[in-house]
Amino acid sequence: MTASTTRRRFLRLLGLGSGGALLAACAQPAPAAPTAAPKTEAKPAAQPTAAAAQPAAAAATPAEAAKAPAQAAKVPAGPVKIGVLAARAGVTAAVGQAGQRATEWWAERVNKEGGILGRQVQLVIEEESNPKDTVDRYRKLVLQDQVDVVVGGISTGVTLAVGPVAEEMGTPLLMWDGTTQNGIEETIEDPKWIFRSADNEVEAIGAALLTPKYFPNVKTVAGIGNDYSYGRDLWATYQAILKRSMPAVEFVLELFPKLGDTDFTSQIAAIRQAGPDLMMCSFWSGDAPIIMKQAAAVNLFDGMKGVFTTAGGVHDALKKEFTPEGLLLGYNSMYFDDPKASPLLKQFVADYRSKYNEYPAYECDHAFFCAEAYKAGVEKASRAANEWPSKEQVVKGIEGIEVESLSGRRMMREDHVMMGTWFQGLTTHKNAYDFVTIDPVESLPTTRIQKPAGAKLMDWIGTMPL
Amino acid sequence: MAGPAVAQTSPRAGARAFAPGAWVLALAVLAVLVAPLVVSPYYLTKMLPFFAYGVVLLGLNLLVGYTGLLSFGHALFLGVGAYTVSVATTRLEIRSFEVILLLAALTAAIVAAPIGALCVRYVKIYFGMLTLAFGMLFYSFLIKFYAVTGGDQGLRVAQHSLLGLFEARSGERVRFLTGQFYYYAAAVLAILALVMWRIVRSPFGLCLRSIRDNPEKAEYLGVSVRRHRWYAFMLSAVYAGIGGALLGPVTGQVDPTLVYWTHSGNLVFMVLLGGFTSFFGPLLGAFVFIFLQDQIMSVVPYWRLVFGAILAAIVIFAPTGLMGLLSQRPTLPRWAVLRQAPGPEHAN
Amino acid sequence: MSNVVDVLLSGVFAASILFLVAAGLQVVFGVLKIFNLACGSFYALGAYVGVSAVNWSLAAGLPRPLFVLALVGGGLALAFVGPIVERLLRTVYDRDEAFQLLLTFAVVLMLEDVTQLVWGTAPYSTGALYLSYGQALILGSTVPVYNLLVIGASVLIAVGLGLVLTRTRWGRIVRATADNREMAEALGVNMRRVYVQVFTLGTVLGTLGGALVIPSTTAISEMGIELIVQAFAVVVIGGLGSMRGALVGALIVGVLRAVAIATRPEVEMLLIYLIVIGVLVVRPRGLFGGAAA
Repeated sequence: MTASTTRRRFLRLLGLGSGGALLAACAQPAPAAPTAAPKTEAKPAAQPTAAAAQPAAAAATPAEAAKAPAQAAKVPAGPVKIGVLAARAGVTAAVGQAGQRATEWWAERVNKEGGILGRQVQLVIEEESNPKDTVDRYRKLVLQDQVDVVVGGISTGVTLAVGPVAEEMGTPLLMWDGTTQNGIEETIEDPKWIFRSADNEVEAIGAALLTPKYFPNVKTVAGIGNDYSYGRDLWATYQAILKRSMPAVEFVLELFPKLGDTDFTSQIAAIRQAGPDLMMCSFWSGDAPIIMKQAAAVNLFDGMKGVFTTAGGVHDALKKEFTPEGLLLGYNSMYFDDPKASPLLKQFVADYRSKYNEYPAYECDHAFFCAEAYKAGVEKASRAANEWPSKEQVVKGIEGIEVESLSGRRMMREDHVMMGTWFQGLTTHKNAYDFVTIDPVESLPTTRIQKPAGAKLMDWIGTMPL
Repeated sequence: MAGPAVAQTSPRAGARAFAPGAWVLALAVLAVLVAPLVVSPYYLTKMLPFFAYGVVLLGLNLLVGYTGLLSFGHALFLGVGAYTVSVATTRLEIRSFEVILLLAALTAAIVAAPIGALCVRYVKIYFGMLTLAFGMLFYSFLIKFYAVTGGDQGLRVAQHSLLGLFEARSGERVRFLTGQFYYYAAAVLAILALVMWRIVRSPFGLCLRSIRDNPEKAEYLGVSVRRHRWYAFMLSAVYAGIGGALLGPVTGQVDPTLVYWTHSGNLVFMVLLGGFTSFFGPLLGAFVFIFLQDQIMSVVPYWRLVFGAILAAIVIFAPTGLMGLLSQRPTLPRWAVLRQAPGPEHAN
Repeated sequence: MSNVVDVLLSGVFAASILFLVAAGLQVVFGVLKIFNLACGSFYALGAYVGVSAVNWSLAAGLPRPLFVLALVGGGLALAFVGPIVERLLRTVYDRDEAFQLLLTFAVVLMLEDVTQLVWGTAPYSTGALYLSYGQALILGSTVPVYNLLVIGASVLIAVGLGLVLTRTRWGRIVRATADNREMAEALGVNMRRVYVQVFTLGTVLGTLGGALVIPSTTAISEMGIELIVQAFAVVVIGGLGSMRGALVGALIVGVLRAVAIATRPEVEMLLIYLIVIGVLVVRPRGLFGGAAA
């Protein structure tokens, strides 16, 4: 929806100015840049942004703003601005899009119910791309658009760079899925402004805990993941736990293609050559269905088990034709088809389906949770302050807060790490969709698979209950 | 600003045309000096990449504009500089930014020496391809040697101090970047611009131009063509290294996309946008590129389409770039029009 | 044995796609003397159009097994892009090749966003069609029949190109132009027409490559700029402008990369670029350089 409106807007823009106007345009902004200085509130509001969410902004009619609750006197006028960093290109696009859609759904819903303390929510959407440009867009959100909070951030490669910048900028940042881990080590021990996703490794820990249960006869294991912290750490963690629970297992191969690669035939040939009993794959974006398809094309899973820790992020691209039954598949923090789904999740799945003709993936839950935790944090802090809370107060309000998210009750731990329940299970074709689902559904609470605050990961793995 | 155009060889002509240009230059310097008082912090943070790219492009144009060698892998040296900052601050625990800049320059020179020696044996398309290949070689190294380079996600840049006096206090990084670091980076650019100004006007600079215009003649007159090209290559790499080092602290993280071939392409784009036949052209190009990109990205995500159209228009209609348009000298110098027979041309 | 065959065949499959794109690059360089960075973008365009063509034609009632025809049709239909880009390039034929290179870079930038404008940003694929031809057993190794089909198509195109360039009147004109433009022009060859035709041929080779590869993977907007550097490696190793070079270069890059991944995954593309540099330094004309298109 948003993508297509921007596209249309852009086409209109093209229509206005043909070739000549484009040239003229390149001289124009040069003087505009230094003069666009005033730090007034009004200016950034007028600034058109990459994809300012129309539904949210349009709902903010004066009439609705007037019927704000009692605190109205002490609540600033104008909408609450929420900056959103969402990936929109390349293999990570689908995941970023899911997060953005859920945020839009949340904003629409909140605005319909009167906003946050009577203030309407306005989304300012920017692109998550490479670290350098994303840091830049983050600075723009905070310094230029003067947003109240920023949500988003998926790839740890990016949030690792954005994290320290956000710590310096004095505006809360709630990361959907990114962390500030470099390898398994936390780079920001005691964050003030940023809230992070659960450790990257929780999915590997969950999958490793389930591996002996479902694949007890495995003797040799190969691993493949994207070539950065996420892929490498998941593999390291998975091995560490299996070494405890299945000491006889031998690790025969590890492969780390670059995030963004779309051809894995050579890697698959290498895996066939190594001939492991099980392949562990931590792909989480558009590359997961690709490797699945290319693996199916050579019957890779005939006689080999598979563990896909995170591929539930693109679950509806895992078509039955090429995704076998019996793979261990991780859905991260939300399983759209959960038999125990809450009414909220059911409502969301239905709306999502009717609007996009797709089934939502877990990033929706992280995005919804981040936005909802912010709202609850503001409300909690405002009760103490009896006015619209400062950003520091909001951060304090978010710490330890528990809210109803799409996947159920979720909490933001005191040390700024999101908690919740992770879902994994064996793939099955017994459903009404053209893609796989899981049965049985294993629930893995983060109290079980996320290291406690302050613990060192590998130390904890050495002693955690298996 | 039209004065210091490359085509000019008579110092007198240069002096005459300098006067109006000097005014514009003085105004630009003044604007940079007072900007922190009037411009919003966000746009000030956008000025930092301008200073950094400014340094890189001054060096790149020594190759492209003055020596006639189009490098399509120059981001390599920018990356070397940026990674040097990261390694220096995180692994070597060097905090003095002056030492870091020197280290970046030195590293870039060391890397550039063998690469340059190989590359300057060729000109034209073969020079471009070889530089592209070296750039991608370094890119693959950064991606694949995870343990050393941090792979895809790169390395962080840690705390550093300017002149041993200033460093970012916790929570005040934006103030540091838009205050002390802003002036620091501007000063580095100013100093290096002055140095480059002297270089292109020195006998060495004259040699480069004569090589560009007619290598055979230059050789005949006793100029060692290959050695001069090598010197120019090293100098431009040193500039790129220092510029890359300035870029590191701005993001706080360096990653392999800095070295990817499209980034090299963008560097050349900036040079051409501003005008490679003018000394200040690349600076104007960097400025317009950065701020125009920011403005377009704020409206639509399709900045590449707009920029591609602009680049095409510049190449076709205004090959001397914005400076050429401003100085009403839109025609190309002769050396850039002449089409030579393709093939690997050995420099001598 | 079957393992070796696995690795080799995966390399040959990659090589057959690389060859098509590289051949497009070569034929254009051979005649127009322009290094066309946009050939990667043509490849991406072919991929997207390929998916659309398949989706449309299957919806319109094309039997599933015939989806390859839709792919080829989509790739061929993109021929119209060739003359447009050639018209753009024509404005700088008399300039230094730096400008020509930059103009193709401008096309790269534009086409990357054009694909996003038209097809959106999400990955775009043909789903499970890739598997619809089943598998074959070759020396104990399981191979998707579709891969063999693509390899076959690529070989066919290579042979066809070779025949056209050596046996037909048009081919002789093209080769003459590549060898000596002035001479060909003096002999009455309509240079403008040859340029348009050759550039269009180069475009179609790229779009066909993209269309043929897409069932096995997924179209994403960066696929063009990722591929161009591999195609670049192919033509440098093979020798700029040489068709035989494109074939051998593609095999070297495709197979070596596959072998590297299977044995020393960390050297992957590093190895390829080292070879490229080695070739440029030792034998800048490449293995088959100097030979005309």
